[in-house]
Amino acid sequence: MDDETTQNKRQEKEGMETDLAARGCVLLIEDDSTIAEEIVAELTGHGLQVMHRDTGDAGLTAALAGEADVMVVDRLLPGLDGLSVIETMRQRGIRTPVLVLSALSAVDDRVTGLKAGGDDYLTKPFAMEELLARVEALLRRPDDTRSTKLRVGPLEMDLIERRAWRGEREIELLPREFRLLEYLMRRPDQVLTRSMLLEDVWQYRFIPRTNLVDVHIGKLRRKVDAPGEEPLIKSIRGTGFQLCVSD
Amino acid sequence: MALAAMAGVMVMQFGLVYTQMEAVESHRSTTLLRGEAELLARMTPEHLEYVIRKRATDDMRLVISSAGLFDASHALITGDLRVWPRGLKADGKPHNIEIYPEEGAPYPLRLLAVTLSDGNILVLGRSFHLLAEQKLMLRHATFLAAVPTLLFALLLGMVLSHRALSRVKDMHEAIDLIMAGDIHERLPAGKERDDLERLAGSVNRMLDRLESLMDGMREVGNDIAHDLRTPLSRVRAKLERALSTGSAGDALEGAVARAVDELDQCLGIITALLRIAEIESSRRRAGFGTVNLVELIADVVDLYEPIAETEGIHLLTQAGLAPVNIDGDRHLLIELLVNLVDNAIKFTPEGGHVTVAVTRQGGKASLSVTDTGIGIVPEERQAVLSRFYRSDKSRHVPGSGLGLSLVSAIAQLHDATVLVGEGKNGLGTCFRVTFS
Repeated sequence: MDDETTQNKRQEKEGMETDLAARGCVLLIEDDSTIAEEIVAELTGHGLQVMHRDTGDAGLTAALAGEADVMVVDRLLPGLDGLSVIETMRQRGIRTPVLVLSALSAVDDRVTGLKAGGDDYLTKPFAMEELLARVEALLRRPDDTRSTKLRVGPLEMDLIERRAWRGEREIELLPREFRLLEYLMRRPDQVLTRSMLLEDVWQYRFIPRTNLVDVHIGKLRRKVDAPGEEPLIKSIRGTGFQLCVSD
Repeated sequence: MALAAMAGVMVMQFGLVYTQMEAVESHRSTTLLRGEAELLARMTPEHLEYVIRKRATDDMRLVISSAGLFDASHALITGDLRVWPRGLKADGKPHNIEIYPEEGAPYPLRLLAVTLSDGNILVLGRSFHLLAEQKLMLRHATFLAAVPTLLFALLLGMVLSHRALSRVKDMHEAIDLIMAGDIHERLPAGKERDDLERLAGSVNRMLDRLESLMDGMREVGNDIAHDLRTPLSRVRAKLERALSTGSAGDALEGAVARAVDELDQCLGIITALLRIAEIESSRRRAGFGTVNLVELIADVVDLYEPIAETEGIHLLTQAGLAPVNIDGDRHLLIELLVNLVDNAIKFTPEGGHVTVAVTRQGGKASLSVTDTGIGIVPEERQAVLSRFYRSDKSRHVPGSGLGLSLVSAIAQLHDATVLVGEGKNGLGTCFRVTFS
């Protein structure tokens, strides 16, 4: 079992590398050199190209050049702070998605971070897998949120009638399971961390128990992957989950 | 300032005494004038004329300052009043009238006129010079009394203020010591006999409270250090062993993975502590709005149902259909309830029940989470809400020990009370959060 997951993980990594290399240019604005080094290593290790700037002013100049596909910005920077960088570039019409990093965890801080034009907010300390998953999520943001039918691999979902099928078989889902599957189907082949699921599906933060999401996924998996069928919902050890449909 | 007030009081006193004296003198002169007029009216006209001309009685010399006998047409017969005083009526009542003599300044007289049996009119007058003299005397007396009184007051004030200042100076010195770090120092409060000492007493009690709070904080600080040291030393030991045994490959990977888990636990503790501090220090209610508790428990139960199911615990809700609305921060209230439910599931064995209920009694909304778990002994019930408290029974259950202090902090922000009691039939535990 363990071997199998490692193998899966390796395959996914390769898949991700080829996938992201084409459009993955990350602008990192972070003044702490140790953390910056780790982030650069993690992101380049997954085939992303990283530009690192260590002040707000240098970061803003690079952001305004508009070459980055996604930005990772620390809130507290010497000189021009992270939020001002984001606000200024948004005023100039640069729409590059931004992940805000911060040592401040208060709910209010998160709200101000997102209001300033950030797209996602990650509190330090964080796991590198979490950062990678969120950067990846920003790179592949679901674009068509208005369609009423979702079709991913053998899965099909009707958002109006609230029904879902795997091939010919209808999957009976509780409302919470339906919401979870919808979230997964909008992000196929994407690594989704536990905290991303909690924040986005349930709008909760600060949940004391980490295996809470696993139990929900477990319940959903038993309904989606019937015995004998190719498993679609995979666990990524130490990180989260992935709906695999590409192969 | 105080001296001016004192002088003012003395002037008022003088005025009061003078008014009293005036009233007494006015009454006395009326009586005297009437008495004398009555006496004179009984005399024969000839004798009366003689008496008036010569001022032949003692009273005429001592009590009466002017006298005149006029005929019915107000023409002078005899006496020292040269003309009929202007405006005087022969009605036997006293009148204060200004007299204009042929020479010298006009002067006031208290006059009384009576008609005699032969038709003539007798006029008697009494001057106010006695009153004027008394007034002068009173003024002298007041002044003579005022100077030493004011001087004495001044001196006494100086002595007293010097004493008060020296006490204030003592207090300043004590405060300086406290500011320099000697928090056990206290202000001189004596037996709290006056305002200054009572104030010092209040300050001392405040310092006592602050000192006990500081002790509490120091304790929490020690607890934090201890709670972090344990997992950190475990991490250290694991990594050291992995290094020294020269393990490689999977063994090393396993050791590092476990070390990362332990470090995550440390970070979890720090995050929870920061969160509690943030909620406790937050006086702002920016995130407040109307929250329906019935909806809230449904959401949390929806989140926890699968995990309760896998652990073989029945998770139930009890609430009416009508919404129970309160003013609060939805995210924080969810956090509160999640912590209570999580806790209840953690301490309830397989086959047990966890009931989440919302009630409204007498206008007060309350949330309760009741379990059939291991329970808490009565003497530990309120203590579980304090930081890092782990009951002996729960030591083996993993957790930061901070969930319930978070509950307590969130409840405080909402002016809600948390009561810890026992569950149904004396089994398990019931946490009840009552909003005011």
